[in-house]
Amino acid sequence: MPIQSGRARKLCRRSFLKLVGGAGVLGATLGIAGCGASASADAAAGAAGWMPSQYNVPAGWPVQVRGRVAIAPDNPSITRDNEKCILCGQCIEVCKNVQSVFDNYELPFKEEIICIHCGQCTHWCPSGAITEVDENAKVIAALADPNKFVVVQMAPSTRVGLGEEFGFPVGTNVERLQYAALYKLGFDAVFDTNFSADLTIMEEGSELVRRVLGVNEHDGHANNTLPQFTSCCPGWVKYVEYYYPDLMAHLSSSKSPQQMTAPLYKTYYAETKGIDPKNIFSVSIMPCTAKKFEAARPEMNAASRLYDDPAVSADVDVVLTVRELARLIKNQGIDFNELTEVDCDKMMGEYTGAGAIFGATGGVMEAAVRSAYYLITGEQPPAALWELTPVRGLAGVKEAAVSIPGAGEVKVCVVSGLANAGVVMDRVRAGDRSYAFIEVMACPSGCQYGGGQPRSSSPPSDAVRTTRTETLYRIDRECQLRNSHDNPEITALYKNYLGEPGSELAELLLHTSYTSRAEKLTVKRV
Amino acid sequence: MTNELTAGKAFGALVDIPRCIGCESCSVACKLYNGLDWEEERKRLTAADRAAEPNKGLWPEDWTSIAQYNPEKDGVRTIRFVKSQCFHCDEPACASACFSKAFQKLPQGPVIYDQSLCVGCRYCMLACPFDIIKYEWDKAIPACRKCQMCAPRVAEGEAPACVAVCPTGALFFGEKEEVLAEAKKRIAAGDYIDHIYGEQEAGGTGWLYISDIPFAEMRFRTDVTTRSLPSYTESYMGATPLVGIGWAAVLAGLYVYNNKGKDHLD
Repeated sequence: MPIQSGRARKLCRRSFLKLVGGAGVLGATLGIAGCGASASADAAAGAAGWMPSQYNVPAGWPVQVRGRVAIAPDNPSITRDNEKCILCGQCIEVCKNVQSVFDNYELPFKEEIICIHCGQCTHWCPSGAITEVDENAKVIAALADPNKFVVVQMAPSTRVGLGEEFGFPVGTNVERLQYAALYKLGFDAVFDTNFSADLTIMEEGSELVRRVLGVNEHDGHANNTLPQFTSCCPGWVKYVEYYYPDLMAHLSSSKSPQQMTAPLYKTYYAETKGIDPKNIFSVSIMPCTAKKFEAARPEMNAASRLYDDPAVSADVDVVLTVRELARLIKNQGIDFNELTEVDCDKMMGEYTGAGAIFGATGGVMEAAVRSAYYLITGEQPPAALWELTPVRGLAGVKEAAVSIPGAGEVKVCVVSGLANAGVVMDRVRAGDRSYAFIEVMACPSGCQYGGGQPRSSSPPSDAVRTTRTETLYRIDRECQLRNSHDNPEITALYKNYLGEPGSELAELLLHTSYTSRAEKLTVKRV
Repeated sequence: MTNELTAGKAFGALVDIPRCIGCESCSVACKLYNGLDWEEERKRLTAADRAAEPNKGLWPEDWTSIAQYNPEKDGVRTIRFVKSQCFHCDEPACASACFSKAFQKLPQGPVIYDQSLCVGCRYCMLACPFDIIKYEWDKAIPACRKCQMCAPRVAEGEAPACVAVCPTGALFFGEKEEVLAEAKKRIAAGDYIDHIYGEQEAGGTGWLYISDIPFAEMRFRTDVTTRSLPSYTESYMGATPLVGIGWAAVLAGLYVYNNKGKDHLD
């Protein structure tokens, strides 16, 4: 059969190659088109990274530590670098369990993300994702402006922290080196907030005595509510405004030390030295991130109100944390270890031991008791009140009873950490009136491990806390004067300018009022 | 991938908008698990900035994002945060439009993308009713980018990275019916609008949303059909293989007919 044999011959080579080639091209086309490939999770894009191991469990398994706290972009105190966040949940741990802020509200949020700005999360964050809002640029600009007279104050506990940023052992007192560094940076006047703390004691102590005697007035209203709460801690103040607005009358109307002397720089100091208050730029060095929030509160413009001049800026223009100051010193090329110790400016720089211990939990109480004794009895307190051991130490809630002739047995309470404060507040709300005076600091163990202090251990360790606290008490012991009312510059201030504690001018410059934030959140009822 | 935990199960997730505090744990978890880049200029954006972006913050390296809205509730300005990511439709239009099967719906629920199969036609982007898929326009060998619902995790019965880290319970993961039941339970118990976004939209989606604020006020598409998108075309597109094979048969027949009786050496 010729035809069949002819076909067979054709298939032999050329057609066979065509067939195989065609099949190959078809197969490749189908392969590229994905025909026949079955879907598999392994083919998915992504999944090339990692997750913290606590999250690598079947969906239904309980995971105790989840996620992180929310931080509003306009938070004046803290910020976060998302790229550094490892979702370890430590910020939630401190915010919820130590400060009882996170999760202590019903969802949804109303108007804002709830934060009291204490900054403890910056200490607990192990990767350094959460930090203070850096405001060094504003200070550098002010220092470079020849028209500005830049004053600075430095808080009691900054001097026991700053050295750690420059290699000093934990808790070293670098007070006089810190003054020198501030002068070297170009500040025109350096003041000590320890003086402000003495002033706070005069106002707050007098207020306490007036409340006890039943003759206290504020904003034209009688306010003899007891127990009186301290108001030095802006985190604590905002906590009260959020969670216990019904107890705001208990808060001392006296401002915090920072906010007390700040308006005096623009009034008392400016008038004495003949400086235009509009040109004064006021910086404060604080161990605290909440101070940034406090300084930005709209009512903190007493100098501007006194002169009725909107051109006078806020009482405190910029707050720098200790960490920011350390960065500033390094960035400006100052060798901190090579500085020569100096003194700060006088007029508002002298301090007593009572002012120095403000940085430790119980310190405000101890200082207040010393001066309250004097204000009630007219006599100097006995030496026993210079070592009021029951209010010292790291315990979250401490009590003491002090007998003062004329006032009998006065019971006081000292709290640090807001979860502890919540417990005491609930008792006060329920009608417990056993205390006359309650000191609260938002940060556990007080300002010396405040949210703006160097991160010498993360999370904060009691060893560091104890060492820093011991230094503060040593400063107190080594002071010639140990009672706020003995400070000669305080006496001069009242004599030359303010009149007396609680005077009309003191009321305007040194006292404040509080705003209920009850409508900003729904408190969780347990 | 087979796993006795997940065999025969289809998963979904719930976004409970009022319970979101805007911490953005979810978007950070997404970056960590999927190894996505942080772009310097995008890192600085806030949730409010993202709400104003056309993409609501979704980009080739941002597969999920949080946008902040300020709707009024009872006459008071309030804040709400809305998470965006792929909805993982039950019948995904992208997978239907993709002729090279680069997009596929897994039986466990995720709609995944395999770059090795992609020809770069971007039909998927046109097909997606939620404008989720992003294209790497600036790359020499570009890929389509979108949330994969952490498919390898889901295949093991683990929640997607974002859900696993949510600290407030705003995100909930489980089998699809379980998720739907949870959504209904929450709506019945709390102050919610009686609408589960995604139950009907686009014929049903793997990710569901519940809210106390009307969805339209938070840039949700409210004009999405409730019919599954592939169902619009599958009646006639289903004939494509038949048409192809038919034409091949016809042409082959004509060839055979024309060459009938001819000598191949002619």
